[in-house]
Amino acid sequence: MLMNDNAIIHVENLHKWFGKLHVLKGVSFSVSPKEVMVLIGRSGSGKSTLLRCLNFLEEPTAGTISVAGDSITTAPGVKLDPKKILAIRLKMGMVFQEFNLFPHMTALGNVIEGLVTVKKMSQDEAIAMGEKYLSKVGLFEKRDVFPIRLSGGQKQRIAIARSLAMEPQVMLFDEPTSALDPELIGEVLDVMKQLAYEGTTMMIVTHEMSFANDVADRIIYVDHGEIVEQGEPEKIFNHPSDDRTRVFLRTFLHTDQSD
Amino acid sequence: MSVETQFPSDEPDIDPSMGEALQAHKNKVRLIHTAKIASVWIALVLILSIGLLQLRFDPGYVGEHYGFVMQGVLTTLGLSVASIAIATILALLGALGRLSHNSIAQGLAGFYVSLVRGTPLLIQIYIIYLGLPQIGTQLQSLGFAHLGKTLTLTAIQSGILALSLNYGAYMTEIFRAGIQSISHGQREAAISLGLTEWQTMRRVILPQAIRIIIPDIGNQFIAMQKDSALVSVMGVWEITYRANRFGRKDSKFMEMFILAAALYWILTIVSSWIEERLEKRLAHAYER
Ligand SMILES: Nc1ncnc2c1ncn2[C@@H]1O[C@H](COP(=O)(O)OP(=O)(O)O)[C@@H](O)[C@H]1O
Ligand SMILES: [Mg+2]
Repeated sequence: MLMNDNAIIHVENLHKWFGKLHVLKGVSFSVSPKEVMVLIGRSGSGKSTLLRCLNFLEEPTAGTISVAGDSITTAPGVKLDPKKILAIRLKMGMVFQEFNLFPHMTALGNVIEGLVTVKKMSQDEAIAMGEKYLSKVGLFEKRDVFPIRLSGGQKQRIAIARSLAMEPQVMLFDEPTSALDPELIGEVLDVMKQLAYEGTTMMIVTHEMSFANDVADRIIYVDHGEIVEQGEPEKIFNHPSDDRTRVFLRTFLHTDQSD
Repeated sequence: MSVETQFPSDEPDIDPSMGEALQAHKNKVRLIHTAKIASVWIALVLILSIGLLQLRFDPGYVGEHYGFVMQGVLTTLGLSVASIAIATILALLGALGRLSHNSIAQGLAGFYVSLVRGTPLLIQIYIIYLGLPQIGTQLQSLGFAHLGKTLTLTAIQSGILALSLNYGAYMTEIFRAGIQSISHGQREAAISLGLTEWQTMRRVILPQAIRIIIPDIGNQFIAMQKDSALVSVMGVWEITYRANRFGRKDSKFMEMFILAAALYWILTIVSSWIEERLEKRLAHAYER
């Protein structure tokens, strides 16, 4: 297990049950600042649940989650403190497969929503900040456009800008390109590569293996709610030590890459 | 020239003016269709009018007294607008209650909806107008003078309260369905930005839900304008009460009630028109 003292995320013995279904079976790992960690694994293995537990979109059943100095330990029956959950959420940005842009707000409106409503910034400050992040994803000119007029790739880039504008310490991506037409995947991956290059700490669930190979500092293979194997892309892709990883990669790389 | 011969074939070179010609033809067909429908309406109104005139319907009487009945339009409108406003607030609270994880809020909201939807509006009006003062008197004799007095409501107050409570219950279900129709991802995106549950509701869910339910709210408003006729039983001087007063005195029921019916009809037509405008305005963000 890779452990270090200056980890920005530290997860210890995380369990999640959905009713009788044991989806995360005692997962532990750490993420260092500026690290790009990519989670791979077959559909239903618990990757999304793992990300969603980190910012408490799903309430973990048991375990400890620490993010940049805030820590929550839970167990069945424990009532969580909403303030602590909020503190952790503010340290993480989340990007979803389905973008989830707010359709009643313009691109800029989407990006400044958190700044105005959560961070209580003034309109002017928020707009300046929002424009900065729209430019960052290359969509400044879509400032006043409503989501319905944007392509999938543009929507996802706006969604990324919306998360980035909150200036979180970690970005979580749950299959950010899986809902996109093939020709639109590249523009989103390019934005993510740029973020990786700038040293953004990221946890990414993806099936884009060559992208993973390019940006990941570490790859984690998840199977049936457990971390089966982890290591540098070189090792995981070329010399996986676990049979399950090997089988997954072999079948995966030789079949359709869609989930 | 028939449309079929003009219809674009699979040939690669299509005359660009063909699209315009097709569109013009379509518009013409639509216009004729609308004109035919309008003629049916006019014919029906004419037939009914002639029939009534043959049966000694007295338009002169309507002419003399329409002003008196018209004065009730403002009362009817006032009652309906005040009641729909309060009902909307009740419905929002009701829906939040029904969707809440809090068992007390859920219980309260469920009880409210069930009780109000399970009883006739007329009975609710009687209970509020005639029943409550009875309890008020009792309370007054027990020493709760102030509380007792507030339970004695004027006819207008009773009408607004009854209509608000009644429509609030029906609209609770409309709001609930509207809120539930917004995809879960919207809530998740808002929550992960750090919005609280209430901020998420106010900033993200409700604006989208309200756009969806505006037509239903409009329908409720129209239904309420007509149901407000029931408050005439308390002697509120709205359209129905005024029509009834004269109709009874001079045995001109048909004249007065047809006038009243026409006034309600016009009110509802205007209301639907306003609702459609509002719907279009709110659709702005969703137009490609
Ligand atoms: N809200 C939920 N309720 C019940 N079961 C769920 C829920 N979310 C996910 N699951 C189940 O948990 C397992 C892991 O799902 P998920 O984390 O989405 O996997 P992945 O993202 O790796 O495809 C699956 O069996 C899925 O059906
Ligand atoms: Mg998933």
